[in-house]
Amino acid sequence: MNRPAAENVTIYAPRPCRLLDVQQLTPQEKLFRLQLADGSDLGHQPGQFVQVSIPGLTEAPISVASSPSRSGYFELGVRRAGRLTAALHQLQPGAPLGIRGPFGRPFQLAALQGRQLLLIAGGCGLAPLRSLIQYCQDHADDYASVQILYGARSPDDLMFKQDLANWQISDSFTCRYTVDNRPASSCYDGETGLITQLLADLRPDPAICCAVVVGPPTMYRPVIAELRRMGLSGARQIMLSLERQMRCGVGKCGHCSIEHLYCCSDGPIFWLEEVEQLRGALG
Amino acid sequence: MLKQLTRSALEHLLQQTAADYRLQVPQRLADGTRQLAPYGSGELSLFGETPQRKPTSAFFPQTEPLLKIDSTGAVQLPAAAEKPLALFGLDAHDLHGIAFIDRFFSAAPADDVYLRQRTNALLIGLTGAAGPDQSFLPLSAGNCDIELIASNDHWLAVAYSETGEQLLEPFPDGDNDRLRALREETSSYRAIRPDSLQKASELLLHDRVPDDFWEAIAARCILCSGCNLACPTCTCFCLQDRQRADGTERSRVWDSCQLDAFMREASGHNPLGSEALRTRRRIHHKLAADPQRWGELGCVACGRCDRACPTGIGIFAVAEEIVKRYEKG
Repeated sequence: MNRPAAENVTIYAPRPCRLLDVQQLTPQEKLFRLQLADGSDLGHQPGQFVQVSIPGLTEAPISVASSPSRSGYFELGVRRAGRLTAALHQLQPGAPLGIRGPFGRPFQLAALQGRQLLLIAGGCGLAPLRSLIQYCQDHADDYASVQILYGARSPDDLMFKQDLANWQISDSFTCRYTVDNRPASSCYDGETGLITQLLADLRPDPAICCAVVVGPPTMYRPVIAELRRMGLSGARQIMLSLERQMRCGVGKCGHCSIEHLYCCSDGPIFWLEEVEQLRGALG
Repeated sequence: MLKQLTRSALEHLLQQTAADYRLQVPQRLADGTRQLAPYGSGELSLFGETPQRKPTSAFFPQTEPLLKIDSTGAVQLPAAAEKPLALFGLDAHDLHGIAFIDRFFSAAPADDVYLRQRTNALLIGLTGAAGPDQSFLPLSAGNCDIELIASNDHWLAVAYSETGEQLLEPFPDGDNDRLRALREETSSYRAIRPDSLQKASELLLHDRVPDDFWEAIAARCILCSGCNLACPTCTCFCLQDRQRADGTERSRVWDSCQLDAFMREASGHNPLGSEALRTRRRIHHKLAADPQRWGELGCVACGRCDRACPTGIGIFAVAEEIVKRYEKG
């Protein structure tokens, strides 16, 4: 075998990055605004992810939460869940970080053009979906309509509250959100109930509607059933973002395999029909 | 190019190879096992059982430094080896295993860490009368630089690459009729892979194996992960950081899909959250997912996992069980 390796470069090398800003989104989630140390753009597309590297703690895959149309920075919405994300949550602006990527198959933007979009997120699935929402906002004329539907467990768990408020008053979008449970002590006065209830009274035109669904594994099957009931039963009508423990991001480490596919490189964005029959794909 | 080597000519070829390569050859170790070990560190073993350590570990070792990150975030790659590797003594199964992971790691984006070990490495097959008690080992598919085919008291030597031709140049020509006869013997030899692997593959691809089968197989698994560690086509790894005085050393380490943490996410969600699902994954990946992705079985039928498994659920055993239970049903 005579195929030479690139000299002094490796696909596993993180690029130095600066933390520009940190915002608390919920008690468990923060939004990190970052910039590559050399000032260049990340070069991502909506739906892609990066590997965040912290020396001593290896890496964690995190979806990019901002659109490439907002240049000069990129943002990551991160739930504190493991050791690396706990350390990330301790960092202050100015801290150095490493980034590999962007990786993965992005949202299929060309297939969405001219369509009625139903953008549906559950829990922290709003973070990756936000990259597409911002993109749609910056290319509003490209879509027949854009409807955002979001569900969280409780009012405290609602991510991107300021964005949600802005999207609700935006001319470009319709935006509704709901919480599964509203504690008696909460001053939340919005909608309550599962995200499928937000879908129940929609009347999209199946001929031109395309749904994008990003959420926890338990959300997919009920939401898909509701979308099918609404007539979205054709090919290339429902796009999903799947989550797995993607450790390398380049289809080598094996941790994100879904039968014969690698979520990190064949996904994380899939058309429903590409994964629906694959064991374990939809939880 | 076909040449013929006597025992002393073979020694000469190995000496010559060792001058330019980090040569590993089969040796009988003090514990009685036969393994690939650095040339000159023990007695050469020219026939015998397949070394249990997988040969792919030479290019994809159990622990492998990827890079070092200093306090400024600057990344430094490990120093390159002075000489490329050469492996001698590989049978047809092992050459097939190396070819399988060559394709896997070369698929875009190519894994430069693997390529740095593998590029310019030399593979010398050893087939013919080279099995236990000089039993016949089928000839290779030519996926090596040189194949030495043991025959009576000499070795036929076939070059399959330019480097192989250069190394064999000084030796006398071999007997083409003898090579033809050995190739015929290979084709009449039992298939390189047992039929049960292909049949089990088809049953898995047609979803004919029910969940309770995997429950029963998984109940016998003791989670030693020996199957994965012994398998030449297993390539899964995780990352590991170690703090050193001059920075953080990031390595990759073999991982096993039989272990609970393999796919567990930080959220607690685990797509392989039961032993039955993980056992299915191990077999399904080789016999159904790999054929779908790469066009061939991921099992090269070397037999290592069946030898390693203390409870008899290596891939041959499981494939046979699948065929026995579900072929007609």
